[in-house]
Amino acid sequence: MATRSACRALERRFASAAAAAAAARPSAAEVRSQRNAVFSREQARQRALYPRIEKIEVSMQGPGLDGTLLVMNRGMSTPLSCARHLTEYHVNNSVLALVDGEPWPLHQPLTDSCSMTLLTFKDSDPTLANQAYWRSCAALLGQVLQTAFKDDYTVELLSTPEVPVTSGAFCCDVALDPQLDSWTPSEESLRSLTKGAQQLIHKDLPWEPLEVAPSVALEVFSHSRCKQEEVEEKAAQHPKGRVTLYRCGDHVLLSAGPLVGRTGLCSQYEVTALHSLRQGPWGLHRRAQGLSLPLQLQAHHTVWRKLRQRAEKLVEVSRLEEAAPPSPPDSTPPPTSQ
Amino acid sequence: MRLTLRALISHGRVARKMGLGPESRINMLRNILTGLVRHERIETTTARADEVRFYAEKLVDYAKRGDTDEKAMKMASFWLTEKDLVPKLFNVLAPRFETHSKGYTRMARLPNRENLDRAKMAVLEYKGNPFPPLYPVKKDNELTLINQLLRGYREDRAQQLATKA
Repeated sequence: MATRSACRALERRFASAAAAAAAARPSAAEVRSQRNAVFSREQARQRALYPRIEKIEVSMQGPGLDGTLLVMNRGMSTPLSCARHLTEYHVNNSVLALVDGEPWPLHQPLTDSCSMTLLTFKDSDPTLANQAYWRSCAALLGQVLQTAFKDDYTVELLSTPEVPVTSGAFCCDVALDPQLDSWTPSEESLRSLTKGAQQLIHKDLPWEPLEVAPSVALEVFSHSRCKQEEVEEKAAQHPKGRVTLYRCGDHVLLSAGPLVGRTGLCSQYEVTALHSLRQGPWGLHRRAQGLSLPLQLQAHHTVWRKLRQRAEKLVEVSRLEEAAPPSPPDSTPPPTSQ
Repeated sequence: MRLTLRALISHGRVARKMGLGPESRINMLRNILTGLVRHERIETTTARADEVRFYAEKLVDYAKRGDTDEKAMKMASFWLTEKDLVPKLFNVLAPRFETHSKGYTRMARLPNRENLDRAKMAVLEYKGNPFPPLYPVKKDNELTLINQLLRGYREDRAQQLATKA
């Protein structure tokens, strides 16, 4: 009797403690709306830096376009708006812009007169476009994982490693809630993740870039210690100490390099595997892998099946390859000791 | 309604008539064949190229017998009007086609001649000539995303087979 009442008392105390802990940790929706609000505020502030319309001259380079001069607005016109002045083909097929030799996301406003090339997947050297596409697919995977789990479980997105295209799959490192440590995803769950990704692709959301000072980025990720560390790392690597944030829909993320213009560019997308790596500082590190092909380079189903089978295997990334090299001789380099 | 038959029905005769008569035809073909042996790729009318093809291949068959052969030397000196091509035939063309049993020439159509006659033109060449190919092979861009993925796949498979073997 005494034990029963004691048990009940303990139960109630633990339940209230758990509830208090859950209440202290903000819900996923709240976190998302807070990040969104900070992002929108910073975006509006950066746009307000150009109150009057100033004109810049953009000279286009490319097949059939050499020397075309476009007069655009400073701080407002993006490479996509330049493409809109050309043809629908350029709008649909351009993946990335090369502004004065620098890779530039399609939705980032131009700040100076420059010479610009629009990159597609079918150029003679589409390496940059491929890398940007791989990064964007990994970012999409991260977004899907963040929103896929129920509110009771926390999802901590770790940095997406830069993987070369020849390794067969893009990866997104994630640390799930400790309650899910023993959970291994079944085929059904992978398929539902794929469906989530396909929904995002169908919505055709643009990836809006924003270059911010590290302090703003730290404010955006104020609820996540892991992300703040990543912000500091990226700020240290950048020559000007700025950090680029991207927003897709209502999900704000951090990325190492330029991303593609919009989600609708992917056509075949599948989440292939979720491997468990070692125990790290944020919990059990897991690597989600996927395979995707763009709208312009669709594969026959036989080819797709073979590539997908390969994408299920774990892709090992050595910490030494920071900036993605063009193509290593060995597709799976031996893992370095961490 | 047409009540008379056209006069140019061959009634099954396949041999072509060229020039002023059979001797003229052979002389014309000899000249064209000499040009072919000298330049290894020539442009003529389709009919002439087609006729020369048979003689070009027969000449190579004779050349394969070697220049010590009496008959081969007589054939070569008859068919090649420019005698400096006789050594070329025996020392260059015959060794080139040692492994081939037949099919030493290639013929491809060209756009019709620009003159008033608008004749059907063709280009005739000996295989293995030093010029760029008549049908250029268009290679896929190795650096596209799908080709890079397939390359990784192929390397992976090769690695697996190597470790299995």
